[in-house]
Amino acid sequence: MQASKTLEKTLMATPERKLEADADLAVVRQVQAGDVAAFDRLIVKYRERVLGVIYNMTSNREDAADLAQDAFIKAFQSIHRFQGQASFFTWLYRIAVNSTLSHLRRNRLRSFFSLESVREDDPVSKDLVDALTDKQGGERDAFIRELQEKLNEAMQKLSIKHRTVVTLFEIDGLSHQEIAEVMECSVGTVRSRLHYAKQLLQGELQPYVK
Amino acid sequence: MSGLPERKVTVEQLLRLKRAERPSPEFWAQFEAQMRAKQLSAIVERRPWWAGLSRFAAFGRMQVSLGAAAALALSFAGYRLVEGQLAPGPASEVAALPVRSPAAAGRSAAVPAARSVREVVATVAGRTPSAPRPLVAADAPHIVPAPAAAALAAETTRSPFADGIAVTLADYREPVSAPRPDVFGSDRDFEAETLTARAQVADPLARMDTEAERRARILSPALPLARAYAADWMRQRTSTDDRIYESMDRAMSDDHQLGGIRF
Repeated sequence: MQASKTLEKTLMATPERKLEADADLAVVRQVQAGDVAAFDRLIVKYRERVLGVIYNMTSNREDAADLAQDAFIKAFQSIHRFQGQASFFTWLYRIAVNSTLSHLRRNRLRSFFSLESVREDDPVSKDLVDALTDKQGGERDAFIRELQEKLNEAMQKLSIKHRTVVTLFEIDGLSHQEIAEVMECSVGTVRSRLHYAKQLLQGELQPYVK
Repeated sequence: MSGLPERKVTVEQLLRLKRAERPSPEFWAQFEAQMRAKQLSAIVERRPWWAGLSRFAAFGRMQVSLGAAAALALSFAGYRLVEGQLAPGPASEVAALPVRSPAAAGRSAAVPAARSVREVVATVAGRTPSAPRPLVAADAPHIVPAPAAAALAAETTRSPFADGIAVTLADYREPVSAPRPDVFGSDRDFEAETLTARAQVADPLARMDTEAERRARILSPALPLARAYAADWMRQRTSTDDRIYESMDRAMSDDHQLGGIRF
């Protein structure tokens, strides 16, 4: 029973997401009616997630900031074309992902990493680092920094599309269906790319993974 | 390598570390300021020149409807034209024959007019290769297909039947309304030419060439006899045709039965 719920959550959008989409649609209708300030609420709500997706695709925080801003501007400029057939965040993600893919294709030869710091107060990261090492203090910080670099290097060895799927599924927590909508491909393609990307990451991060 | 772990985790657990990579609050302040500037510049950005073309959208729609109406009118006119060319009536078939009117014959030489008469006779007799089927004008009952013997004679010599038919056809094609003198000038010369041409066409012996004259000399003693024979033949044929039509009418009116087969 629990496994089926997990599988459903993995494959389909959750009811919370649907409620969230309805709330977003109401705000979008306000913006379409002329309330431009209402769009700020959408920016504040989604800026961290959009930036996180772009950052994990580019591994460069300056580029990620510029691309996230451009994605919001594009969404604002074309919000009158949003019909509400898909959820707003899927639509916004599609804009952000397509902008990032175009940027990465244009700058294929240029790769400059600038990493964000890992927040120590995050429980997930603390548990993960505790599971990996018993080091404390400065050694622990160095271990986290090196792990972060290894992770980004492994991600950059993936192709753009595989990296996008891994980012959206493993880091941002989107379902297969939502990723398929964002990337405009089939759910089977999403699963296939995810499986292949995990195999590659397994090989690249051999010292850290079971 | 100082970062070697004591224990190992799964790939999924390892990737969760990236969720903890978050920018500082100062970053968000800068992000918001840049965002605001870009948003304002996007609002006040000049519209491209092609954005003004939307004003002509209504005219464009009207153009479409005008174009459709024009296409419909052209299609109708073309249909009428093609219909007129493909399905001509008997009168237009006769009018399409290369017969030259006496007026035209008068304006040009008499020999081409004679050639036209020969073609008309051959066409009416159904012996022209380009028009193998006999031509029957329903609204010109005075045009009667010549008998085979007469048509054969028309090919070699000038038959009185053929010339008579030619004159009739020429009269048939002649326009009823006379040209206005104030537009085309005086018609006295025109009438004189017309009379001369008509006389030439009406008198077959007047336009005979040397070979034809020789044949005419041979045939002239038998000409009255031939005319009498032809008149008798035509009378018999007419009565025979009437009997055939009457029998066909009886057969067809007998409950559409022909030869015991019900249609």
